[in-house]
Amino acid sequence: MSIAGKKLTGSAPAEPRPSGSWALQLLFRHETLLLLVLVVEWLLFYHYGTTTNRRGLVVGFGTLDRQFDILRHSCEIGLLALALTPIILTAGIDLSVGSLLGLCAILFGKLWHDGGLSIATAASLTLVIGAGAGGLNATLITALRLPPLIVTLGTYSLFRGLAEAITHGAVTYTDFPDSFLFLGQERWLGLPTQAWLFLLVAVAMWLLVHRTVFGRSFRAIGFSPEGARYAGLPVERRVALGYVLAGLIAALAAIIYTARLGQAKADAGTGYELFAITAVVLGGTSIFGGTGSITGTLLGVAAIAVLRSGLATLPVVLRLNAAEEMSGLLTGALLIVALAGSVLPKILSSLGARRQAG
Amino acid sequence: MAVTPPQPLLTLRRVAKNFGGVRALRGVDFDLHAGEVHALLGENGAGKSTLIKVATGAHTPDSGEIIVGGRSLSGLTPALAQQLGIACIYQQPALFPDLTVAENIGLRLEHGRALRRIDWPARRTQAATLLVRVGATIAPDAEVGTLSMPEQQLVEIACAVGAGARIVIMDEPTAALTQREQERLFTVVRELRAAGTGVIYISHRLEEIFALADRVTVLRDGESVGTHPVAAMDQAALIKLMVGREVSQLYPPAESPPGDVVLALQNTGCAAGGVRDVSLEVRAGEVLGLAGLVGAGRTELARVLFGITPADAGEIRLNGQVVTIASPPEAIARGIAYVPEDRRRHGVILEMPIAQNMTMAIHSRLFPGAWLRDGAERTLALDYVRDLAVKCAGCDAPGGSLSGGNQQKVSLARWLATKPRVLILDEPTQGVDVGAKSEIHKIIRRLAKEGLAVIMISSDLPEVLGMSDRIGVMRGGTLTAVLPGGSDAHVVMATALGGVT
Repeated sequence: MSIAGKKLTGSAPAEPRPSGSWALQLLFRHETLLLLVLVVEWLLFYHYGTTTNRRGLVVGFGTLDRQFDILRHSCEIGLLALALTPIILTAGIDLSVGSLLGLCAILFGKLWHDGGLSIATAASLTLVIGAGAGGLNATLITALRLPPLIVTLGTYSLFRGLAEAITHGAVTYTDFPDSFLFLGQERWLGLPTQAWLFLLVAVAMWLLVHRTVFGRSFRAIGFSPEGARYAGLPVERRVALGYVLAGLIAALAAIIYTARLGQAKADAGTGYELFAITAVVLGGTSIFGGTGSITGTLLGVAAIAVLRSGLATLPVVLRLNAAEEMSGLLTGALLIVALAGSVLPKILSSLGARRQAG
Repeated sequence: MAVTPPQPLLTLRRVAKNFGGVRALRGVDFDLHAGEVHALLGENGAGKSTLIKVATGAHTPDSGEIIVGGRSLSGLTPALAQQLGIACIYQQPALFPDLTVAENIGLRLEHGRALRRIDWPARRTQAATLLVRVGATIAPDAEVGTLSMPEQQLVEIACAVGAGARIVIMDEPTAALTQREQERLFTVVRELRAAGTGVIYISHRLEEIFALADRVTVLRDGESVGTHPVAAMDQAALIKLMVGREVSQLYPPAESPPGDVVLALQNTGCAAGGVRDVSLEVRAGEVLGLAGLVGAGRTELARVLFGITPADAGEIRLNGQVVTIASPPEAIARGIAYVPEDRRRHGVILEMPIAQNMTMAIHSRLFPGAWLRDGAERTLALDYVRDLAVKCAGCDAPGGSLSGGNQQKVSLARWLATKPRVLILDEPTQGVDVGAKSEIHKIIRRLAKEGLAVIMISSDLPEVLGMSDRIGVMRGGTLTAVLPGGSDAHVVMATALGGVT
């Protein structure tokens, strides 16, 4: 079979597009629909959430400050969502990332404050510890063949419990130097500083998932773990990589969290894992594995962040005082609608097939 | 046994059943009388299981008639079959392992409302009585999970007896039994017969059929090729009926003499895989057929060689070097490729494009530094699509959109791309239409000519006889004989069944 000098056009078998024009296909992609939802959501909040105060200043949703605020607040959950995407692609799950964020924040604070290490050394060590904690999940899942849901439910409690044990539920580490707080509270080159780190991780994860054999393997494992094994893929090593990366990124999120709030405490990141999973699934990644994209996850993070922040501006303008309750309710509704929307075509076609058969 | 009662217990008349394009049953006649043991015999895939499933109501036949006790039934369901006294005992007993024997029997036999009080003493007494009737010495309070396989089978039979079954179907009941357990089972079957029950008995072991059955029906390719009194048959006659057809001449001939030994096994075994003591040599340019019954250990041997269940005994030599194969990636690195039997679960990832499926086993070679190269992948995939004549809408089409034969070609392409030295094919043409089948045969022959050592596992006897340079026969997890190519079908079948030569 000679490969050299072969023209791909002409003699090659016909390669028709499956159906419809590419523009139509693009329109019905999950990411496109989600982008549309995001734009509508944003415009609605811009319209109803912005006003001028008595001194004639624009306040509420439509200000640049508010937009930067949304970005700043979505970095940590966004990082966790990025970390969860490859794991969910393999049909796994990691419930421990929020707790690990808390544990890493405490350890980072303790290493710097009590250990007398420099910020840089403490941060590096924290990243190593995060990756190690991810390695614990990975070992339990791949070597002992325990289900990821159970393993990470266990480490979810374990990591949080450790954080609370270290601080006795009382100690918080504060008084970080300004040079460190710059990461979480200032802007660099026009954007909130941590947004640059978030962007860097997003690009790296996009490359990993979409442009390398690792991403290809994640999908294969998600679609059919047995099929991937019979294809000779190193299934255990690939799965392990996902959980180790999640631990590393959770540690990075912990450092950013600490810099944003100026304090490290044991309850940091409580409940973040659920927001992150919601964002990933909203972004079109199937909880059953195989399909999904980093772009979708980013849009999912944005849709949730805009919704939560936008609702918080409504009381100012519309004198609605139910922002917290509404945000939970609407996030849930958004997720269920998105999920139902993505399985609806399948259900309809299987119903049709059954009718034909019967 | 020669006394024929006026009306059979069960009659199947011209029963036909298709699965997609596969004609599993093509108008089979079968009847069962009270007080007889009627054996059902046939090669793998001859239609025995389908016939049983029709008789128990698990499958609805496409055409034909089912008559139970003189009543013609249009819609037989499993529940109705149970009411009519039809019971089936499978190879793997279907009991609840965590419940006791008495509880299992009670669940089968007691019908009642959800909120009724359980009469524990009555339940125990019932279980004890039934167990005595089938000659079992099992405590009613024993947990089923602690019982041996034959004991569990006896519990199943006790259920059948307790339900007043008039028709008992046994599907290879002795497959897992020792000689003594087998004797005990035979006694129970003979007692059932004496009590007027009709027994349909499926087994591959011819000696059992002669020991136990009154009549025998042989199925071949979904058709009944005759029902005979066992007393009028001998083993040779039965094997002839099972194999029947002439070996087709349509297989491409071997063109070159085999080269050096590539793969050599010396007493290779794997306890977890159920493979023991296999010694075998395969040469470059040779097609070694592996024949045997389902469960004889052929796929299990392939899984050992591919590192899925690594060998724990004996020696594996590749080109003279002793090697260990601990995982599929290691097998690939050593030049061993395995095209698995179950295409849809193991051969192809149905949701992924054809091109991605074809390159899955050569990631490290095709994508240096782990970066995907779409152009290279596409070129390679298009080459194989053309070379193996894969019929598809393009190499971006998902694997699941292809027909069985074309999926098989994609799976084959994936392994050819690894440039293997040893190619193991597991049932390469199972469920593939005739056209694609002959194409695959030509490809296999061509690969052998190019110097690959090919091991072809197949339950299709004409295929094994037509394609193989040598034929290895497996039975009970080990290789029992290596026959020359072009051996007589009857000899191969007899070796696979064991006993006669």
